[in-house]
Amino acid sequence: MTLFIQQLFNGLALGGVYCLAAIGLTLVFGVLRIPNLAHGALYMLGAYITYFFLTTVGVPYIAAIGIAAIMLFVVGVGLERLVFHPLRNSPHTHHMIAAVGAMFFFQALAQAIWGADFRRMDTPITGELRILGAEISAQRIVIIVTAVIVLALLAWFIKRSIHGQTIEAIEQDRVGASLVGINPSMVAMLTLGLSALLATIAAGLVAPINLLSPTMGDALNLKVFAIIILGGLGSLPGAIVGGFALAIAETMTATYISSAVGETVAFVVLVAVLAIKPNGLFTKAVQR
Amino acid sequence: MDSISRSRRRRLSAAAVLGAIALTATACGGGSSSEGDTVVIGYTGPLSGGGAAYGENVKIGLEMVIDDLNADGVEVDGNPVTLELKSLDDKYAPSTAASNAQRLADQDEAPVVVSPNAGAIKAIQQINSGRSNFLISAYTSDPAIVQADNPLTMMIPPNFESYAEEFSETAMKHGGEKLALLGTQSEYGQQWTKSITDAWSEASGKIGGDNSIDYATVSDFAGPVSKALAEKPDAIFVGGPSQPTALIMEEARKQGFEGSFLVMDQAKLDEMATVTKLDNLKNSVGVLPVSEYEDPGTEDFLKKFGEKAGEKKVPTSETALNYQGIAIIAKAMEVAGTTDDPEKIREAINEALPEVDDKYKVNGFPDEITEQGHLLSPNLEATFLDEDGEYTKVPIEQVSDDK
Repeated sequence: MTLFIQQLFNGLALGGVYCLAAIGLTLVFGVLRIPNLAHGALYMLGAYITYFFLTTVGVPYIAAIGIAAIMLFVVGVGLERLVFHPLRNSPHTHHMIAAVGAMFFFQALAQAIWGADFRRMDTPITGELRILGAEISAQRIVIIVTAVIVLALLAWFIKRSIHGQTIEAIEQDRVGASLVGINPSMVAMLTLGLSALLATIAAGLVAPINLLSPTMGDALNLKVFAIIILGGLGSLPGAIVGGFALAIAETMTATYISSAVGETVAFVVLVAVLAIKPNGLFTKAVQR
Repeated sequence: MDSISRSRRRRLSAAAVLGAIALTATACGGGSSSEGDTVVIGYTGPLSGGGAAYGENVKIGLEMVIDDLNADGVEVDGNPVTLELKSLDDKYAPSTAASNAQRLADQDEAPVVVSPNAGAIKAIQQINSGRSNFLISAYTSDPAIVQADNPLTMMIPPNFESYAEEFSETAMKHGGEKLALLGTQSEYGQQWTKSITDAWSEASGKIGGDNSIDYATVSDFAGPVSKALAEKPDAIFVGGPSQPTALIMEEARKQGFEGSFLVMDQAKLDEMATVTKLDNLKNSVGVLPVSEYEDPGTEDFLKKFGEKAGEKKVPTSETALNYQGIAIIAKAMEVAGTTDDPEKIREAINEALPEVDDKYKVNGFPDEITEQGHLLSPNLEATFLDEDGEYTKVPIEQVSDDK
């Protein structure tokens, strides 16, 4: 039972990270209709910039994540302007090739600046909590709590604020939204910026329990794609449910079956969803 | 109209850039092979992607030794020779490594190609003694590469199978009889897991399930560690790259593990201490850190390494052994009196070993090369990091490379 509780919390913490990363990706898909293969690279860059502010500049942990998130927002906007916007009328493969190019560019950039070595980001949040006999590190609790707060804020932003509502409007009907005066190009920038910002928060939270390396985004990239396909491309609730479901499935299979199976769960789920319910759990009403 | 001219301008500038790149490329290719007394030492290794840190460590060793050799002066058959390092990135892919090696041998006429990865070496062994001839300076502890009977391979590090018995014995003495397996899922990691499993069972210890995980893709080690600890082990086998290995050990200590660790040779205890507290690493058996060697050149090597790579970086055997390896090859060239006949260079290695200058003896210098091409050091030692954070040397008996 202790093991179960322990793994449940580990799964929830991992789920929080997956969610934050997956939501950005799903938003981008909803608005720009492209799978942003560079998403993992933005996550990696976010982690390094947080590291830079925390370790090299010496600002407090939360502030470092905040500054990095804002910087990545700008990077996201830049990525939309310089890479995806010029390609908006080209065939879909061009976006994917461009995104892969951007991914390699960011990886090479990180290696040039910070080197290929793994780096450790120390967290000021230390200590363990005992919950029902399980030892849960405080950092994992912080991850879970922050993920919930950020998700709530995001839901408020998209449902209630005027700028957020434009995202949803474009997702639902691009032409209709343009007709009522919403600028799709602004919304595209906002969305990519937002997705990079969320990925940075995820990276900043997970970095202290993992290591930084220029390729740290690769593994996450695969997982978040599995998540948004499971949840339904473009669907926000889908990304949230998918993120937690996949993380808990992964940890539990690794615990009760085997570690090797745990690592493949994401892909088994992916194949199963594509075979049985290709639109995912939460199908969007509007498809292009 | 404006948009048309702009796109044309873009196309023109793109063509210009491509042209410039092509020109530089040919210029590079032609330049290095035309100078008579320059010998290219080829290197193909992972310089980008997940293995980049490893590849860079090897490269630092090669750069250091080539600088030192050139400063000392290499003289082959009465002519001074300048060594030049040419590195190509293979991203850890054996097929790319093989084509890189081919390119280095054909275009740059490199008599020696260094490769730090068993898979890549096996691929290069298909092409190094036939149409093109070159010596592979092989940095891997997988004995399969000498079992291949390739006449032009020089294997540098000790055979990893030598460690299993002594590691098991030491870890059992300091921990207990029940072992948990938490190694990495790479091919090499799995070979180690098997080797440790065999040795542990032979010593009549108990082994839990295989909890190997892919160190490169797991986002949070807490889950796998909890699972391994649920078996209530007295000792845990860990190992992959140093830094993730350190994190796993830290997590195990956090979750209350007090037994001993067996650390695979890929992870280096002193390098691990840069990402976690030394306390988390105590009570472990692993390979001896470079700084603990007492070869005649070790001290100077450490100093030079600090100047080159920065005081914060820990020198590992990837750097030190390749430093030593190229020094041996350079001496073998002098003894053989040739820089372009890899067979003669290979034959001369045994004769060259005692003649290598003391400054190049840094990390368990070998005193012979086996017929199959494995450099053997007379005393191989591993280490036990005890409760006081002291490294105690553990002598290792070397096993035969035969299957």
